[in-house]
Amino acid sequence: MMSSGSFSLRTRPVAGLALGWLLLLLIVGLLAPWLPLSPTTPDLLLVAAPPATGSGHYLGTDALGRDVLAGLVAGAQRLVLLTLPAVALATLLGTLAGAAAGFWGNQRLRLPIAAGGWVLVAAWWGLRLPGTAFLCILLGIATALTLLTWRVARHPAARRRYTCALPLDSLVLGIITLLGSVPRLLLLVALAAGPPLTTGQLLALLTLLAWPETARLVRGQMHWVRAQPFIEAAQASGLPMSRIWWRHALPHACRPLLAFGPLSLAGLVGLESSLAFLGIGQGPDVVSWGSQLASVRHDTTAWWAAVFPGLALLLTLLALQKLAVLASPATNK
Amino acid sequence: MWGWLFGRLARAAGVAWLITSLVFIVSRQLPGGPDQLVVADLSELGRPVAADQSVASQQAARLAVRRRLGLELPVFYVTHRANQWYWHGPANQYHRWAVAVLHGDLGRSYRDGQPVGALLWQALRFTLPLAASAAGLAAGLALGLGLYLARRPGSPGARLLVGLLNGLQITPLFLVALGLLLLFANPDLLNLLPAAVQTPTEDGGQLLAYWLGRAALPLVSLVLAVLPELTLPLAAALRHEATTGYATTARAKGLPLGQVLRRHALPNALLPLLTTLTDLLPALVAGTVVVEVLFAFPGSGRLLAEAAAAHDYPLVVAGVLLTALARLLGLLLADILYFLIDPRLRPS
Repeated sequence: MMSSGSFSLRTRPVAGLALGWLLLLLIVGLLAPWLPLSPTTPDLLLVAAPPATGSGHYLGTDALGRDVLAGLVAGAQRLVLLTLPAVALATLLGTLAGAAAGFWGNQRLRLPIAAGGWVLVAAWWGLRLPGTAFLCILLGIATALTLLTWRVARHPAARRRYTCALPLDSLVLGIITLLGSVPRLLLLVALAAGPPLTTGQLLALLTLLAWPETARLVRGQMHWVRAQPFIEAAQASGLPMSRIWWRHALPHACRPLLAFGPLSLAGLVGLESSLAFLGIGQGPDVVSWGSQLASVRHDTTAWWAAVFPGLALLLTLLALQKLAVLASPATNK
Repeated sequence: MWGWLFGRLARAAGVAWLITSLVFIVSRQLPGGPDQLVVADLSELGRPVAADQSVASQQAARLAVRRRLGLELPVFYVTHRANQWYWHGPANQYHRWAVAVLHGDLGRSYRDGQPVGALLWQALRFTLPLAASAAGLAAGLALGLGLYLARRPGSPGARLLVGLLNGLQITPLFLVALGLLLLFANPDLLNLLPAAVQTPTEDGGQLLAYWLGRAALPLVSLVLAVLPELTLPLAAALRHEATTGYATTARAKGLPLGQVLRRHALPNALLPLLTTLTDLLPALVAGTVVVEVLFAFPGSGRLLAEAAAAHDYPLVVAGVLLTALARLLGLLLADILYFLIDPRLRPS
């Protein structure tokens, strides 16, 4: 998609600006630890100082004396190190879940009955339930079942009798419905209501909230891919289903992700900054664009403390939207 | 039809219960969860800590607070400690909470001991009119703007409007609301709609005018938040309908384009919009959280955000349960509306 970059950038300067801004954010976010800026150390002599006063605070300080520029850099770092990985994880998880659900549906993935025994054994051992003797008996039964049905289950006629269908589609859809039953922001606020979250916990939470959208999109696309003739041809040539899924169906089902990825990232950036703005689940020493914007409510005369992070946030979101438009198939024809 | 309806209702109730249970259990299992935070907060608030107070008496005070809030019980039916499973039977927090909710008792707030149901109801009296008028206003505006966009797709005005709506769609609501606050309720700039005025004491017209002034900016923010999702699909659907055969026929008969769109295309274009309307509710609920905090509006969104910030768990969990129920019932209502409007979709 970006191969025709130099030509299209000259004809579309806005797209070039958007890509440039995102690249700048990425570089600044990655280099942030080595920049001589401290977002949390207040300069108590210069509280709410306006920008460009020759005091070393090029964008001024906020009502608590914290440097606005340093806060911007910290926000970029948070975006690169927290939101971007969250979107990557959510895309991975959502793609796998959605593609599996769309490809196998409720009936087509049939597991041998013996697999149920193994799952039971693994769960018993993993949860450390009491009764070692019972575990041994279960292990024996599972092994016997596997040995008995191993040869038979490979035979197409016997497959129905010795296997059971895994309702993958219902399972994934159920989880999507469950997570979608409450607005994302409200769920995030409710789950983050405890002590300040660590970065890892926040990453996990954001991933949990972001993957259903991707899964729904990929599942829909997979329904379309599965009806294509080349899947039937691959089946007729005797390839195993898992290989058809991975090598032939999945790449096609992933195509809309190119345009959806930036939008998903934009949604999460908005969500994360909303949470930071509300000041829930975050320590007071964490600086991001959302928390910077929240500080203006204490002192509305220090407009620069809100305008610069607000502008950065807005530019980022608009650039991501532009990127999504660029990556969508319609504009590249 | 009735069996289908009953099944859907049961499933909606089940999903709402599951998500609420999830929030209940996850929140209480987090390391250093509300358990310790609330106790620390309350025992510091409850009585002044004297310098000579012994560690033992502090611990006793905390234990008393824990017992009063029912936090000394285990969270769930089973706990796993030191490679051993313990079964607690019904003497656990989750069971007590579930039984109380089924009896219609949502619990008491940790902060002031008031019943959660009363607190929520008090706040909803402010939020429901706000959200309902935002939804109505946004729907009306979306109709007008959608018709305008469909009538003149390429004109500069339409292009500007689409650009604005696209930008608005991706901007988080708090940024829009903050911009409005800094522009229109700022003593240094334009103090058109002051966000902080004394509440008039007497009833009647003055009070009404006061609340209208208070609600104006939150209302505008909410409308701006949901407008793009309503307008852009409607305009696209209208433009699609305008290319169909029946629209061409109507045009060929000499009807002006505006009338074709309004009379003939609009009813068909509205049908797919029903799904968008069900998404309106969650957007508004999430929107009220941000907007009410920002404009200090005493509604349910602000109540929930403050409860979350103060680790007031019974309130947060009740809010999640209520929202999930409302959302799932909204979805069901949309399906029923589909069946009423389009008989082809009815379950057989």
